[in-house]
Amino acid sequence: MDNLLEIKDLTYKKNQKIILDKINLELQPGKIVALLGENGAGKTTLMRIIAGMAKNYQGSVTLLNETKEAMRKAHLSFTDGLTGFGDSTKIQDIVHFYQVIYTDFDDEQFDQLRSFMKLDLNMRLSHLSKGMREKLIIALTFSRKADLYLLDEPFSGIDAMARKKIINSIILWKADQATILISDHFVNEIATMLDEVVVIKDKTVLTHQSTEAIRTNNLSIEEYYEGLYLKEDE
Amino acid sequence: MEFKDNIPIYLQIKQYLYRQIITGKLQPGHKIPSVRELAVELTVNVNTVQRALQQMNAEGILFTKRGEGNFVTEDTALLEQTKAKLIKAELEKFVQSMNALGVSDDQISVILSNYLIGE
Repeated sequence: MDNLLEIKDLTYKKNQKIILDKINLELQPGKIVALLGENGAGKTTLMRIIAGMAKNYQGSVTLLNETKEAMRKAHLSFTDGLTGFGDSTKIQDIVHFYQVIYTDFDDEQFDQLRSFMKLDLNMRLSHLSKGMREKLIIALTFSRKADLYLLDEPFSGIDAMARKKIINSIILWKADQATILISDHFVNEIATMLDEVVVIKDKTVLTHQSTEAIRTNNLSIEEYYEGLYLKEDE
Repeated sequence: MEFKDNIPIYLQIKQYLYRQIITGKLQPGHKIPSVRELAVELTVNVNTVQRALQQMNAEGILFTKRGEGNFVTEDTALLEQTKAKLIKAELEKFVQSMNALGVSDDQISVILSNYLIGE
């Protein structure tokens, strides 16, 4: 199958310090993939590079045959924590911004997601709990018609109900050919919905495996992931 | 439905569906839920459900009507076979855990018949 995303020998430095070192990664269409690694492993940086937000890297990032950042951006949907909006911004103003900026923003899809997530358009960012904020980010991200969706730690610090809601929305709204890359430092609660896991360690991709292949060896995804870290400690 | 994460999920989905069929929750000749409905119900990936359904189609326990979805077979012999397989699998589990408790195969049948007559 043709790759959706191809990353070749990607190295990224910040203030002379190597953050990512010779990353190679290929993702196919139609997959749900976890990007795992400890806090500070470089998961967010890798997502920002794929999304075209972090520049000046070495190596190449190709999304559907496009290597230029602006062209890549048209094929992917990434919501960077809503950091650009002030606390008093209402949800409806953020939605309006998305409608203006992104031509692929689907109003009907957003309405469905919004009612599924029980989000009120009149609420302001400052009034959203961590879980509500993540639900809003998911609703905005999935309302765009993209080939690649990047979700940066959508499950960190949220309760079980919100997590379940987000997982269900991913299963329900993911188009067949779209691929979702979800970063997390913990895999247990999302393991059953994953096709593949990518583990980042020591600034590079340590392993990229199919989850069902891991289970064929009678290992749970969590045991496998923890095992990769234990080896180091011995 | 809780899955064990150290056994391939598609195998567990198959077991779950066999059980639904044998216990009559999914009736012979009737349509089963769509791939996406099953995925949400079981909190699993659509691809994983598809893999399970493809295998069950190949086995003949399910059949596909184009554009309509997957249906449970009406082949009674095949349904009986499937039930026999499930029973055998349960017996294997039972015997294994009895063996692990130090009960020999000979003792199992004695213990079991005693249990069943209420001793």
